[in-house]
Amino acid sequence: MKKKLYLKKISLLTACVMTLSILSGCGANPAPTENAAPANEAEAPADNSSEDAASSEVPASPEAVTITAWHDNDEAMMNALADEVNQALAGENITLKFEKKSDVTGQIRLYGTDAANGPDMYLFAHDSLGGFAEMGILEPVANLIDPQKEADLLPMTLEAATYKDVQYLMPVYYETLLFMYNKALWEGDIPSTTDELYDYMAAHTDANAGIYALVNQHSTSYNVAPFINGFGGYIIDKDANPGLDTQEMKDAVVYNSKFAALQADGDYNTVTTLFNEGKAAAIIGGPWLVSGIRDAGIDLGIKSLSDFTLPNGKAMAPYSGVQCIGVLKYAAESKKDAITRVLEVLAEPSVGIVLAQNFNCAPANSKAYEDPQVAENEMILAMEKTAQTAVPMPNIPEMGVMWGPAEGLLAAVNKSGEDVNDAASKYQQEALTAIADMQ
Amino acid sequence: MKKHSTKIYAWLYCLPAFTLIGVIVLFPILYTGYISLTNMNLYHWQDYTFVGADNYIRALVKVDSGFLSALATTLLWTAVNMILDVAIAYLLAVGLNVEGLRARRIYKTLLVFPWAMPAYVSILVWRVGMFNTEFGLLNRFLTALGFDKMDFLSRNVPAFLSCMTLNLWMSLPYMIVMIDGGLQSIDRSMYESAILDGANPWQKNWYITIPSLKKIMAPIIIMTTFTMFKQFDILYLLTMQKGAVSGSTLQTIITYAHQNAFVSNNYGLSSAVSMVIFVFIIVFSLWTNRAARTERSEQ
Repeated sequence: MKKKLYLKKISLLTACVMTLSILSGCGANPAPTENAAPANEAEAPADNSSEDAASSEVPASPEAVTITAWHDNDEAMMNALADEVNQALAGENITLKFEKKSDVTGQIRLYGTDAANGPDMYLFAHDSLGGFAEMGILEPVANLIDPQKEADLLPMTLEAATYKDVQYLMPVYYETLLFMYNKALWEGDIPSTTDELYDYMAAHTDANAGIYALVNQHSTSYNVAPFINGFGGYIIDKDANPGLDTQEMKDAVVYNSKFAALQADGDYNTVTTLFNEGKAAAIIGGPWLVSGIRDAGIDLGIKSLSDFTLPNGKAMAPYSGVQCIGVLKYAAESKKDAITRVLEVLAEPSVGIVLAQNFNCAPANSKAYEDPQVAENEMILAMEKTAQTAVPMPNIPEMGVMWGPAEGLLAAVNKSGEDVNDAASKYQQEALTAIADMQ
Repeated sequence: MKKHSTKIYAWLYCLPAFTLIGVIVLFPILYTGYISLTNMNLYHWQDYTFVGADNYIRALVKVDSGFLSALATTLLWTAVNMILDVAIAYLLAVGLNVEGLRARRIYKTLLVFPWAMPAYVSILVWRVGMFNTEFGLLNRFLTALGFDKMDFLSRNVPAFLSCMTLNLWMSLPYMIVMIDGGLQSIDRSMYESAILDGANPWQKNWYITIPSLKKIMAPIIIMTTFTMFKQFDILYLLTMQKGAVSGSTLQTIITYAHQNAFVSNNYGLSSAVSMVIFVFIIVFSLWTNRAARTERSEQ
């Protein structure tokens, strides 16, 4: 009887402890105090001997500060970027640490006001800027860094980093689509007009045998943007008006569908595999494909899309995606000095040179192109050339809901054989509804 | 007095479970309900205010613009999949229990394999390995037979059938295991009596196996019906994933809600849409439970 009572008490106690444990999990983490030293202080570089000229201008910080940045890029590239910054700031007890996250924009949305669990910065393409700016979670970079330090950044990249006349982001490098071809498979010269390119495709494609002259993600709006922009169309304008049913857009979609008929299914994995396996002689893609192509042992040739003339006499004009650093407001309040120093280093040409030499990234800093090795890089030169006609992806928040309808329109025409007028009206309406739903 | 204290103890013992359910299940529903009454969106991220039933009015207005066809597709999807799922699983389970069948365990293990694979992996494997125009097995067969390649996911009817095939591949193992378990519980002497009475295999199935399985299968069928009803990942990943939109315009109510509310970052509106769907599912659940209860009472 006594034992039974004892067990009863133990059970009750266990139940209470379990309940309290569950409830304690709902408690909030305390936010870090201003300028607090990070827990991982040991990670701060111990070697203070390699101070450079930049760091010598600023007195050494008394406390070690770690700046955390989220990204979803190649980790080797981000490590190289962090090493470059950390080396430059070694004498100031500032450490930049990149953490890879999937769905960075979604994560920033969730943690953008959470000082305890969110990052201090993030590195991502500029097209998500408008949404974050409207949410009020970003500190304008203009408040953190002297504009003189950004004097060498390419105007196109600064335009991409600006929303409603405020520069929120710090451009680091940019990407555009390129015409990439297998030198062993392509016969003759690369055409200079898209009509000639089409003729070449018609003569060198055998879809049933799985042989293609050119593959492209023909139903993805980013990949069809060179046609759309070249025809004078647009997915969405600066005033957030969708342009899926404009005549220019329809002309571009119909023209692209001719090419799509001679290309494989426009799925990313399909087209890259076809090119890497030597079943497609050329691909429209970006620098992110290069490592896979090199691993496949392909002798790669590159041509700027700006070198192709459309039937209207204008050059193809792809979107440019500028990879930028954004600073979260709470981090700017608690770690302002350290963040300013990191941004100053990121604006220097040396960062761009490291990324260009090792990872084929086109630097945002124009001075980086003076480096002899960068000046000889075929891919970077092609991107630099393309940047002259490239259109920065719209960075207004409404762009976030436009990818779906634009892709729907392209797939309807290219894959389901729908009439372009019907599809354009349908998806324009869908876009308008999606934009209205945002409010 | 003792009865009263026993009741209190019983509640106290259940407290951890109730708290866990409250935190994991109840709180998100209540919080979603709260958000649905505000204008929380990209433009009012931190300064959102109470807007009453505005979001519900907007969510219900959406009912006329494609919601009904999505609902019809969902009902068709649920009905066809359930009928085929139960029928095929029944045949396979009965087949696996045929006396004298060799390597029975190997077959059972192989049949469970699709269930053990993560859904995301299965779907992507099917998208590339089966349906892809370049590398898919189905197109390899077609081209080997001299036909043109076919894009199985670009139009609604073939896309529906393709999604359904994959769904059955993924859901059959569970149903087979359940029916197989149910078959083990049937008293063998009934079959022996039936044989003595001269019953053929069809009659044994119709008059013994199926009635004996009914009670066991009812809750499983109800649960699987819900899984089918709120199917999202197969349709989304096969036909509408960003960067791989297939061209078909198939929508179930969940994909419709996702496309119309969740991509907009309007959390107030999407919460209202979620609550409307939640009510739909609750009504559906009450209806199926009632139907099951009525059937039981008739027996």
